[in-house]
Amino acid sequence: MKPYTFLLLLCLALTVRAQEAAQPSCGDCHDEAKAFVTNPHARGAVVKGVVPNDVCTTCHGDGAEHIESGGDKTKITVPRGLSGANDTCLLCHEETRGGMHANTNQVNCLTCHSIHKSDPRSPHLVAKPQLALCGTCHTQAASMRNKPFAHRLDRGGMTCSTCHDPHGRRAKGERSLALLGHLRTTRAGEAPCVSCHTEKRGPFVFSHGGLETGECTTCHETHGSSNPKQLVRATVQQVCIECHSPIAAATLGSQPPSFHNLSLPRYQNCTTCHVAVHGSNRDPQLLK
Amino acid sequence: METLMRYRWLLLALCLTAAHVSAQTMPIPMPIDIEIGYRWTDVSGNENMYRTQINEDEGLLIRALTLATSDLRLDVSDLGAGPAGALRLETRRDGWYRFNLRYRRADAFSALPAFALGQHTFDRTRDLVDGEIEILRWKAIKPFIGYTWNRYEGPGTTTWHVGQDEFLLSQDLRDTDRELRAGATFEFGSVSGQLTQGWRTFRGRETLTLAPGANNGNNSDPVLGRPITVSALTRDERTDVDTPFTSFSIGGQAGSRVRVTGNFVRFAADGDATGADDVTGSLASFAISRFFNGIAEESASRAKNTTWRIGVRGDIAFTDKVDLTAGYRREHRELDGSALIRTLYLQSVTFGGADPRDFEVVLRAENALRRDEDVLDAALLVRPVGPLALRAGISQSNLDVNVAPDLAEIVVDGGQGGAFDRRVRTFLLDGSYSLGGFTLGASLQSSGANDPILRTDFLERDRYRVRASWKAPKFVRLGFVADETQQSNDRPGIGYDSTLRQYTGDVVLTPVEQVSLHASASRFHADSTILFRHPENFRIDESIHVERGKSLEGGVAVTWPRASFEGDLTHFENEGAIPFKLDRSRARVTVQVHGTFGIGAEWARDKYTESAFAVADYEASRYGVFLLLRR
Repeated sequence: MKPYTFLLLLCLALTVRAQEAAQPSCGDCHDEAKAFVTNPHARGAVVKGVVPNDVCTTCHGDGAEHIESGGDKTKITVPRGLSGANDTCLLCHEETRGGMHANTNQVNCLTCHSIHKSDPRSPHLVAKPQLALCGTCHTQAASMRNKPFAHRLDRGGMTCSTCHDPHGRRAKGERSLALLGHLRTTRAGEAPCVSCHTEKRGPFVFSHGGLETGECTTCHETHGSSNPKQLVRATVQQVCIECHSPIAAATLGSQPPSFHNLSLPRYQNCTTCHVAVHGSNRDPQLLK
Repeated sequence: METLMRYRWLLLALCLTAAHVSAQTMPIPMPIDIEIGYRWTDVSGNENMYRTQINEDEGLLIRALTLATSDLRLDVSDLGAGPAGALRLETRRDGWYRFNLRYRRADAFSALPAFALGQHTFDRTRDLVDGEIEILRWKAIKPFIGYTWNRYEGPGTTTWHVGQDEFLLSQDLRDTDRELRAGATFEFGSVSGQLTQGWRTFRGRETLTLAPGANNGNNSDPVLGRPITVSALTRDERTDVDTPFTSFSIGGQAGSRVRVTGNFVRFAADGDATGADDVTGSLASFAISRFFNGIAEESASRAKNTTWRIGVRGDIAFTDKVDLTAGYRREHRELDGSALIRTLYLQSVTFGGADPRDFEVVLRAENALRRDEDVLDAALLVRPVGPLALRAGISQSNLDVNVAPDLAEIVVDGGQGGAFDRRVRTFLLDGSYSLGGFTLGASLQSSGANDPILRTDFLERDRYRVRASWKAPKFVRLGFVADETQQSNDRPGIGYDSTLRQYTGDVVLTPVEQVSLHASASRFHADSTILFRHPENFRIDESIHVERGKSLEGGVAVTWPRASFEGDLTHFENEGAIPFKLDRSRARVTVQVHGTFGIGAEWARDKYTESAFAVADYEASRYGVFLLLRR
C-alpha cells in the first residue's frame, strides 16, 4: 500500500468516526437508554459504558427521522401488545412461539415482560415479581396460596416457574404433549415434584400402586390445601379408604383386614403403622 | 465456622462475581441493590403449628441482593434466617461461555398434633445446588456440562408397628442426590435440538432408635394377657440408586408453515437397599401365633424402574392467525422388585406357652408392574380475528397397567393386582372476546373415561370457566373468574361424585402513579362423596369431604420520592371438615436516608385458629429492620 493511499484511508476513517461521534445518542434524551447498559439485550454491545444506538434500533427501527424531527413520537417504532410481540420479540425468541401462553391480544410477550421497566429484583425482565405477575390472571391459584398448608412460594426459594414452564416449550423433554403440557420435568423426564423430593422417587420393591398408576396429585393438592400435608382430604383415613374399598368394581386398592376398626383412633391414623406410604424396600405392607 | 458454611454458596457466587467484574473495565458503577437486616419473631400458642405452616425464623437475613451488568446477574433472596432462600448467578461471555449457578436452601418442619397421633415429625434442611456451563465457541453446536447436588437431612420422629404395638422412634436421615450431565444443543439451518446424557446417584441413610420413654408403645392393653414392651430398638437402612438417563429432542421447520418436533427420554433406575433391625422386649405376633422376646432382621432388596417416552408433534400454520397442532406420545414403564427378608424371632413360644425356640421367617418377594400410556391430541387455534380468539382441541389417552404383586403383599384377596385398561377422551373449547380494555373468556373441558383404575378415577368430568376483566389505562383493572369442576363415577359400589367451585373477583386501582390499591375476594367450595366399606363390619358407608373457603384480601402501596409503604391484609376462613380462620397482616416501609442508603422496616402477623381443635392455634408476629443500598 502506498503512503498516500494509507493517509487517504486514515482521513476517511477519522471523518466517519467524527460523524459517528457527532450523531446524537438515544441516551441524550432517553434515560431508559442509559439504564439499558445492564440489560441483557445490550449484551456484548456496550462501548465504554455507552449503549450504541444500534442496540435501540434493533427493536425501535431506524430513529433518524425521529431524531431529525426533534423527537416526534410518530416517527419511531414502539413495540406494543400482540403486534409488538410478533414483529419484534419473536424474531429472535422464536422458541417461545405457540407455547402455553400463546400469542394473543390478552397474553403476549409484553404482558409479562417489560424490557425497560422490569422488576429490578427479578431476572428475565419480568414486569413484576413472579407471584404477583402470575397471580394477575391466575387468581384462583394465587388464592389457594392463602390456605394454611402450601409450598412457600413467597418466602424465598420456589416460584411458580419452579414447576411450571410459562412458555410451555414443546421442543424440550416435557412430560406431556397433551393439551396442558406446561409442567416442567426433571432432566430424566419425571414429574417436577421429585426434582426436590428425590427420596420419593424410588424405585421401591413394594411400590404404592396409587402412586405408580396415578400421580402425586392423587393424594396431594399442590397449590395449597386446608388439610395437613397438603392432602386432598381432611383425614388420612379418608384419603386411604376411598381407594382401599374394593366393593364391587375391579379397581386397584386392597381391602384392609377386619381388625382395622375405624371407630378406634388407633386405626384412624393409617400412617401410624403404614409409615412408608410412598413405597418400601423392606415391608410388603409398607410398615417400614 | 457454621455461619461460614451456611453462606458458602453466597461467598462462592460473590467471589465469581468479583473476579468477573475485576476482569472488566467498568466505566460506570455496577448497579447494585442490597437489603440486609435482622428479623425477630414473637410466637404464642402452638409453635409447632406455626413452624409447620410458616417457619420464619429469627436471625440475620439477606432479603435481597442484586448485582447486574449486561452479561452478569447475581440475585439473592431471603438467604439467612429460614425457612427458605435462594441464590442465582448467571454470566456469559459471547462467543465463549454461559455459566449458571443456582443454590436453594429450604428448612422443612412438620409437627402436626392431629397427624399420626402427633408422632410423625421432622426438622430437616434441603440444600440444592445446580451449576451448568455451556460453551458458545461454535454456532452450530454448543456443548454443555452440568452438575446438581441435592441433600435432605436432619432429625425426625416416626413410628414402627412391631410386636402388635406401635413404638415411637427417633430418626436421623441423610439423603444425597447427585446428577452429572453432559450434552450439546445443536442448530443446523432450520433443524435444532438437544442431546443430554446424565448419570444420577441417590444415597439414602436412615438410622432409627427407640425414642426416650417410648418403651410401652402406644397401646397399654396387653395382648392375650401379655404386656407389650420394647427395651431396646435400633434400625439401620441404606438405599443406593444409580440412574443413567438419556434425553433427546429435535425440532425442524418444514417450509414456512410447518414445524415438527420430537423428543425421546429414557432412564433406568437401579436401586439396592439393605436394612438391619434389632429389637428386644416383650412382644407378640398374630402372623406366627407366638410371643417372643426380640427380633433380629436383615433384608436385602433390589428394585428397577426402566422408563422411556417418545413423542412427536406437528404444528401447521394455515394462515398467520390459524394454527393446527397435533401430537402423539407413548410412555412405557417397567418396575421390577425383589427382596429377601430374614426375620429371626428370639426366644419365642406359642400363645399356649409351648415349643420354646428361636423362630426364623424368610420372605422372598418378587413383584412387577408394567405401565403403558399412549396420548394423542390435536387442537385448532384461531388467533385474534378482530376481537375474537378460539381454541378447540381433542385428546385421547390409553393407559394399560399390569400389576403382579408378590403373594406376601396380599393379606385380603382382591384389589391388589391385575390388568387395567383406562381410556380417557377429552374435548376442549375455549374462546375470548376482547375489545377496548374489556375481555370476556369462556372455557369448557369435557372428559369421559371407559373404566377407572383407582376408585377415585372419574368416568365423567366437566370443567367450566368464565373469565372477565376490564382495564382502563393506568387507572383501574377489574377481574372476575368463576371455575367449576364436576367429576363422577356412578359405577355400583363406587358412587363417586365431586364438585369444586371457585369464584374470584379482584380490583386494582391506581388513582395516581404513586398510589396503588388492590382488593380481592374469593370463595372456594369443595364437595366430595364416595362409597367405602368399613373393614371392621363390612358396612357400606359414604366418605364425605366438604370445604367452604372464603378469602378476602386487600392492600395499598404508596411511593414517595424518598420513601415507600406497602400494606396487606388477608382473611381466610374455612368451614367444613377442618374449620379454621387464618388472618394475615403485612406492612413494610422504606426510607431513603442519604444518597444511596436507606432503611426498611417490616412487620408481619399471622393468626391461626381452629374452632374444633384449639390446641393447634397460634399467633405469630415478625419484625424486621433492614439496611438498604441501592445504586
